[in-house]
Amino acid sequence: MNTAPVTALIADDEEAPRAQLAAALAQAWPGLQLVAQCANGVDAWDAFLEHEPQVCFLDIRMPGMSGIDVARRIDGRVPVVFVTAFGDHALAAFDAGAVDYVMKPVDPTRLAQAVERVRPRLAARTGAPAAATLDPAALQALLAQLAGNVRRPAPLQVIQAGVGKEVRLIRVEEVVYFEADSRYTRVVYESPTGGGDALIRTPLKELLAQLDEAQFWQVHRSVIVNQRHIASAVRVDEGQMHLVLRGRPETLPVSRHFQALFKGQ
Amino acid sequence: MKPAIDWSQLWYPGPTRVFSDDELARAGADRPSRTLVMVALFNYLFMGFMMLQAGPGAATAPLTLVLAGAGVLGGQVALRLWRRPSRRALLRGSAVGVAGLLLVLALAMRVHELPRGSDARAWVLSVFIALALLLTLGWWFVAVYRAHQIEARLREQAEQARALAMAGQLAAAQIQPHFLYNTLAALQHWVQAKDDRAAPMLAALTGFLRATLPLFNRPRLALGDEAAAVREYLEVMRLRLGDRLRYTLAIEPAAAHAQVPPGLLLTLVENAVEHGVTPMLSGAEIAVRARTEAGRLVLEVQDGGPGLAPGAADGVGLANSRTRLAQAFGDRATLGLDNAAGGGCIARITAPLETA
Repeated sequence: MNTAPVTALIADDEEAPRAQLAAALAQAWPGLQLVAQCANGVDAWDAFLEHEPQVCFLDIRMPGMSGIDVARRIDGRVPVVFVTAFGDHALAAFDAGAVDYVMKPVDPTRLAQAVERVRPRLAARTGAPAAATLDPAALQALLAQLAGNVRRPAPLQVIQAGVGKEVRLIRVEEVVYFEADSRYTRVVYESPTGGGDALIRTPLKELLAQLDEAQFWQVHRSVIVNQRHIASAVRVDEGQMHLVLRGRPETLPVSRHFQALFKGQ
Repeated sequence: MKPAIDWSQLWYPGPTRVFSDDELARAGADRPSRTLVMVALFNYLFMGFMMLQAGPGAATAPLTLVLAGAGVLGGQVALRLWRRPSRRALLRGSAVGVAGLLLVLALAMRVHELPRGSDARAWVLSVFIALALLLTLGWWFVAVYRAHQIEARLREQAEQARALAMAGQLAAAQIQPHFLYNTLAALQHWVQAKDDRAAPMLAALTGFLRATLPLFNRPRLALGDEAAAVREYLEVMRLRLGDRLRYTLAIEPAAAHAQVPPGLLLTLVENAVEHGVTPMLSGAEIAVRARTEAGRLVLEVQDGGPGLAPGAADGVGLANSRTRLAQAFGDRATLGLDNAAGGGCIARITAPLETA
């Protein structure tokens, strides 16, 4: 029997409902350890990669990335319970069961029910896959459909990077990869007029929400790569993988969460 | 476009619209007014009197009888047409009336041998023609007049229903239930957690409700009153969103007395919070400005949000605002939505400066 406390992440863009959920969870799930309390979807996804919580409680409408977008990225790895505001019809189309959700302000009885449903699905801390109630493909399809109901920002076209005294305009499709560099993001790009790299102030986790998911793949908490520049993915040893890029010497790490992108059919 | 000529009116005259029982119950249940009955009766008696005067003395008694019969028949048919004005009833009534008159005429010709070309024959014929014309024209008039009257009433009722539905929508749009509910939820948590923000939140919410509830039943109010509601709304949202919402409110004294449709400014500010502040990771600022410019009122709500999405259409709130602005000022007011110079979105209303 695993005695380590279960870890959880909660996210809501308003402080009061976040605090209320935390208080209600303390009642409904004694011993649950909140490893992250986030105020937007971008932070929630980043905190998920950092802390690897075993269960997530996500508000739907959040800036940066919606709760549904975060759930799509989590992709069934851990159970997600949506926390929805009154009058939010995004989940109305679904019967309880397909997607777990509770209404705000969180009712202790309803929350206790959700907790009872989530517990058997918790992944063991050793990393064995969670027993999902819904098969992953069906869950993805549901979430994709839901995501259509939530507004998201228009994709980024051009990145402005200050290099010395000039401001360089880098077209997004010319970017090879982005790499988090403390509070900055390093942009490595190649263009017909020559390539290079530049530092921009936008944190990587915020860029992620503004990029086209089909073209830019996140492969690590601190790396997003343009998939057109990937030459191969190399499995180094158990649990280790890196990417080789076309015409570039450097390799990029692929963390455990993203290795499923390269299945080798 | 000129309406096409309805040739069927030549052989099948009368109102073309057919009313359902329900429509007649709603708009056609009243009886003809006493004045109308009095005028019709007076005209008929006057006509009859003139006919009797023009005829030979011997005909007075039988003609009086005919006039009385025609009068009763005319009245009955007219009353039926009043209750249900339709082409079919008009045709049926006219056919019965004219046939009755012809029958009586034939009878009269039979009893009194009236030679062709005699004055007596000409008189009898003209009396019957006049009666037939009088009755059919009278019935036609009743049917057409009454159909128009019922139609106008139905139209009026439909407009009232629409206005009522609109008012209901506006009332619903002004205090958004999710705003109230989520605010109360935050308040409930802060009260339980003994958080210091509970008291200012309650004060702001109370202020907002006090300022907003009387807005519903007035067609116009002073901008200064609306601005008070807007200030309380922004204060509630600032408490909820924390430092993600910053706001400024600048209402020129001259603009504060301007009369505007209620809820207009509030709707613009709600939109700015929803689309300009909450989608932003680190929040944004909202600036509300009201000033007068060349005798006109200018209202601006600017946010520091993502700006207009390309091809964005009016939401329900904005569409409502346009309708109400047009109701209040016709085409003398404008409402525009634009990307602001420094990023974000700016909503601008210009309207005639009218004070109470």
